[in-house]
Amino acid sequence: MASTVIGAGITIDGEITADEDVVVHGTIRGKLTAKDAVTIEQGAVVEADVTGGAMVVAGAVTGNITSSDRVDLQSGAKVVGNVKASRITIADGAQFKGNVDMDV
Amino acid sequence: MAQTRSATRLNSDGRDARIGSGARIRGRIQGDGDLTIEGTVEGEIAVRGALVIAEGASVTSDVEAQEVTIAGALEGNVNASGQVRVAVGARVHGDLRGKSVAIDEGAEYAGRLDCEFDLPPELEGGGRRR
Repeated sequence: MASTVIGAGITIDGEITADEDVVVHGTIRGKLTAKDAVTIEQGAVVEADVTGGAMVVAGAVTGNITSSDRVDLQSGAKVVGNVKASRITIADGAQFKGNVDMDV
Repeated sequence: MAQTRSATRLNSDGRDARIGSGARIRGRIQGDGDLTIEGTVEGEIAVRGALVIAEGASVTSDVEAQEVTIAGALEGNVNASGQVRVAVGARVHGDLRGKSVAIDEGAEYAGRLDCEFDLPPELEGGGRRR
């Protein structure tokens, strides 16, 4: 189970740093840095640069995504920004506008 | 070590929020729902729901919530529409304002208490009017 959960009704304006998993159901504006997995659930709104380990996106992200592991954009995800990761999947139904950098 | 009963409460229905012990937030947290803080928060917190500052948490911020339970360290003022509880092991620097305030034995507290309640009529200065 994730150690940090941002609930659906919660809005955070600012900077989040976590040494552990982060699950976002709510809204984040600012910056999100995690050492571990980041999950951006359906309905979540993230207007922030996101850095972390394995990343699963099913919500809306406006900002750059950098992962030390992999990024999965799931169906329903809406991402405007650049994605940097060594492995990336973009599911059917995911919306994505930006550059992909796979570190090659 | 003191147990904080309410800190372990967590429903994963997406409504509740939890800032884990390895997390640090600088900024403003606001919204609906309950919030449990086990990590570090600097900024401002305003939630419509219950707020729990768990043991080991460090919060430097003014706090607004329906109900507030503190078992960690808090530097800042508390404004609650319901109950405020300062549990054993808590270290609180700031003013507490709530409908009722409870400070457990073993809590460290420095600040002012502002408790909203109706005085019994015999203590209301001037007696009954009208």
